[in-house]
Amino acid sequence: MVSNIYRYISRLSMLALLVAMYSCTPLSCFDETEAFVKASFYSNDTKKLQAPDSLTMYGINRESSPLYNKSVKIQPAYLPLNSSDERCSLIVRINGINDTLDIRYTSYPHLISKECGVTFYHNIDTIIHTSNIIDYIFVSKGTITTINEENLRIFY
Amino acid sequence: MRRIYAYFISLPLLAIAISANLSAQDTITVPLRIKAGIDIAGPLVYSANKNILNTEFFFSADLSEKKAVYLSTGFLDYKFSQYNYEYTNKGAFLKAGLDFNFLKPDKAADKYWAGVGLRYGITVFNSGYPSFSQDNYWGKTISSISRTTHWAHFLEISPGIRTQIFTNFSMGWNISMRMMLYSGTGKDLKPIYLPGFGNAQKNISAGVNYYLVWSIPYKKIRVILKKEEPEETDETEGAQGSSNTGNRQQVQRGRQ
Repeated sequence: MVSNIYRYISRLSMLALLVAMYSCTPLSCFDETEAFVKASFYSNDTKKLQAPDSLTMYGINRESSPLYNKSVKIQPAYLPLNSSDERCSLIVRINGINDTLDIRYTSYPHLISKECGVTFYHNIDTIIHTSNIIDYIFVSKGTITTINEENLRIFY
Repeated sequence: MRRIYAYFISLPLLAIAISANLSAQDTITVPLRIKAGIDIAGPLVYSANKNILNTEFFFSADLSEKKAVYLSTGFLDYKFSQYNYEYTNKGAFLKAGLDFNFLKPDKAADKYWAGVGLRYGITVFNSGYPSFSQDNYWGKTISSISRTTHWAHFLEISPGIRTQIFTNFSMGWNISMRMMLYSGTGKDLKPIYLPGFGNAQKNISAGVNYYLVWSIPYKKIRVILKKEEPEETDETEGAQGSSNTGNRQQVQRGRQ
């Protein structure tokens, strides 16, 4: 009986030590902290994934800081949204031909984790675009989160 | 009518016989106690980290030598800030359940307790984000979320030990494993730290409490001691040598 008590106490002490060690784990963030719109490019002829030979993308009036600059075979493209606004306008240049993309959305805060803090998630309302090279855009997942999943299909 | 008389006469006789039989067995008098305790781990943590003030008090009353009804309450004032946000949470909690003592009354000797507690917990808390920010391609967004009140529910299993340091005073510690049943908030703004629960980022949390306990006996009961079965000796131990075997025999004789 006494040896059982000692065994119980020693096991409990080990457990307490493990709990204390777990509680003292330092904080580090290893997760994605920004919710990008993940846009994949498709051929409108074959309806299959097809990365553009050249992709340039920048926000309107922000030509000096492009998201992509004549980038080759980008698939998918990551589009950041402005959490302070409810719409976002981008110039998309696919294989040298320009189109304008206007995304309307709502934003809401989301706690990623204690380590990584708070970010904004978004719900896409509508997408309006010109059709110089883009044929149409299909919203495959309208909720924009940090999860790596396709949100838009851009057919060109 | 004769049967009724016989019945009335046989009842006291039966009671005498049972009590005589009880006194023939080994019995022990166990005081049942009312206990009140305070967790000193919370103030100790606060002295090292001013962002977590956690207080906890408990009350329990022995129902028998093995079981006690348990009630605890406490308060949390929590602040946390990381590179892009601040979080605050204030609230109170209530836990109710049963404590089970694993020690036999003769081993516990009214001084020791080693057992486990099973509890249901409920907490009401008021949390918010005084500020948070996000920096991206479009610039910096600064915002805040005002404090709102929520309720959360959880279960707790809490093994621990306690020992008497003075008459009616004991101390000891518990390890608590808690499982969230309902966090009270939506999935987007889950609480970071909850009163009575601790780290609420996952559905399971762990914690340690260190208690100072004051107790008073309120009733005495007589408990029959069950005789212990002698421990079985391992065959391998018996084959190790004559000196070891001799010691084991002495121990067994001592227990008999």
